[in-house]
Amino acid sequence: MGVAQRSRRWLVPVTAVAVVAGVGTLGPVVADASPNLPGITAQELLTKVQTAKVDGLSGTVRSAADLGLPALPGVEGGSQIPDLLTGEHTARVAFAAPDKARVAVLDNMAERVWTTDGKTAWAYDSAEREAVKLTLPARAHRPAGPELKPESYNPATVAKQFLDAIDPTTQVEVSGTDKVAGRDAYMLRLVPKTDKSTVGSVTLAIDSKNWVPLEVTVMPRTGKDPAAQLGFSSVSFGIPATSTFTFTPPKGVKVTEKSVPAVRQAPTPVKPPKAVTPKRPAQNAGDKPTVIGEGWESVVAFRDLDVPRSGPVGQLLANARTVEGSWGKGKILTSKMVNALITDDGRVLVGLVSPDTLVAAAPKAPR
Amino acid sequence: MSPSDPAAAETVDVGRPAPARASPGRSGPARSSRNRPSAGRHTLALFRSELHLVFGRARTWVLLAVLAAVPVMIGVAIRLSGSEGDAEGFIGQVAGNGFFLIVASLAVSLPFFLPTAVTVISGESLAGESSLGTFRNLLTAPAGRSRLLAAKMVSLAVFCLVATMVIWLSGLIAGFLLFPVGDVLLLSGTTVPLGDGLVRALGIAVLIGLSMLGLAGIGLFVSSLTSTPLAAMAATFGSFIVCGILSAIPQIDVIHPWLLMYGWPSFADLLRDPPYWDAIWRNLLLQAGYLAVFYAAAWARITSRDING
Repeated sequence: MGVAQRSRRWLVPVTAVAVVAGVGTLGPVVADASPNLPGITAQELLTKVQTAKVDGLSGTVRSAADLGLPALPGVEGGSQIPDLLTGEHTARVAFAAPDKARVAVLDNMAERVWTTDGKTAWAYDSAEREAVKLTLPARAHRPAGPELKPESYNPATVAKQFLDAIDPTTQVEVSGTDKVAGRDAYMLRLVPKTDKSTVGSVTLAIDSKNWVPLEVTVMPRTGKDPAAQLGFSSVSFGIPATSTFTFTPPKGVKVTEKSVPAVRQAPTPVKPPKAVTPKRPAQNAGDKPTVIGEGWESVVAFRDLDVPRSGPVGQLLANARTVEGSWGKGKILTSKMVNALITDDGRVLVGLVSPDTLVAAAPKAPR
Repeated sequence: MSPSDPAAAETVDVGRPAPARASPGRSGPARSSRNRPSAGRHTLALFRSELHLVFGRARTWVLLAVLAAVPVMIGVAIRLSGSEGDAEGFIGQVAGNGFFLIVASLAVSLPFFLPTAVTVISGESLAGESSLGTFRNLLTAPAGRSRLLAAKMVSLAVFCLVATMVIWLSGLIAGFLLFPVGDVLLLSGTTVPLGDGLVRALGIAVLIGLSMLGLAGIGLFVSSLTSTPLAAMAATFGSFIVCGILSAIPQIDVIHPWLLMYGWPSFADLLRDPPYWDAIWRNLLLQAGYLAVFYAAAWARITSRDING
């Protein structure tokens, strides 16, 4: 056997590397060639979406978020940011009209389940082996499903929220077609008209048969990777069995019972992070955050927050850029999507806007 | 490619006492390629002799004994501490249901014990032959090289599966002896009968066994490069450690899905209702990818290797 002939054998493992890498990276792309669908205007598509009615669905939802938030190692109590806003998650969802819903978040070797059959709602955490039972008030047409915690997993709800926000500030277009969860979908793209927002675009993938949003993608103004993506990886529009939504507390699981009062209060809009506690006792209306600006340029302003000047947050602040103006002085914390201005007199302005917009909004923030 | 001389085939018997009975099978096809009808039987004999070689070694049995001790140690520790399941996850459920001793032991063995065992056995596989001086004789029969490699790989795969089965069985026995046993609470909050649970645990054992194949492939390749088994083991375990470190660095999460152990925790998806197959398939595909690449590399190395080297 000659040397050349021998060394040619090494082509086999090299080919194997190429094939494995090729299948791994290109496989999904080839499988998802964009389908040919009849043309549609953004207006028609929006109408179809808003009138879309689905009696039931079940499927798997994937979410991935990369907001570019600074990592705070050693912050007490884990993440202050709701964990669904960071990293990747997979959830199984099921929905049946009018008020049955189930969401199971598949964690690493654990699972968190929320389910409701319209009369009772259950929350179960397999890691803690604890269950919470909620008795819901008897009401005829209460849309229980989407109002519970599961709402952040339901692409339909999330998309609707975006659609509600559409106003003259946004350019809306049908940007093409794609395959999402094996279904043909139109892509509806929303682009902020302002350049003050950190949001580059929001794209909805809308099913071409049921007109249900299948995927939401948020692109930052700079960069090519999505800041957040939430969508079905598989979906079926059959009505799930009733047993899907029932929950029997297993043996050895601690059950806490609660009931929801018939008159429910409006949910608090934005809560300040837990570690950042108000300095003086809360006044009746004074401590509600103020919203400055409109649409994509909205900035949320808090006041009288006791921002820790030591520890990891303090370190982060120490390294942050200092800005000043007639309103005073403060530090700017920047990330891919969210920016924050923390003034020396305890005001905090947060928004999906550029740092300059925050500074411009600072004089309007109540002291 | 000249046919090997019978004398070389004879020395195989001398160097490899354990598979001596099967040695005609090894040299048979090399002596005459016209001898087709019995090739299948010879291959079978070769595979059997490899299994004899792997499971005839004392160190294999020591490794298996260590793995079998894992559930016993965990079970006794929980029994003695007498905690009523404050711990999270599978370990916390052991005290209430001995079934979870199987799952907990498999989960505990996955990140370290099993890879160590697989490293030792795979590092030994080809380099061991070289160090004993038997490899040269094996290589003088060129037609048999591919088949020899296949036999090595099959015996490695069998070892991976036997290792996880040993944990399953040991966990089953220890769990039944030490704790009450009953219906199995799945991650999704539903309860299934014990028999169903045991089948799922068996599936987990098979999955974890298959999860070791990527590492076994790496070990086989490294083992083909050297004639020192210890060096092969160290290098294989070193690459495993490097993979582990890389998977702990968040800044390079782009490459994480390509790392050997990325899909290992997916075994727990079998305990969902219904099982979530997505991550499991991805893990098996990844392992198959690693195996294909490193097996091909080992094959290229073995078949092109200089006999005197």
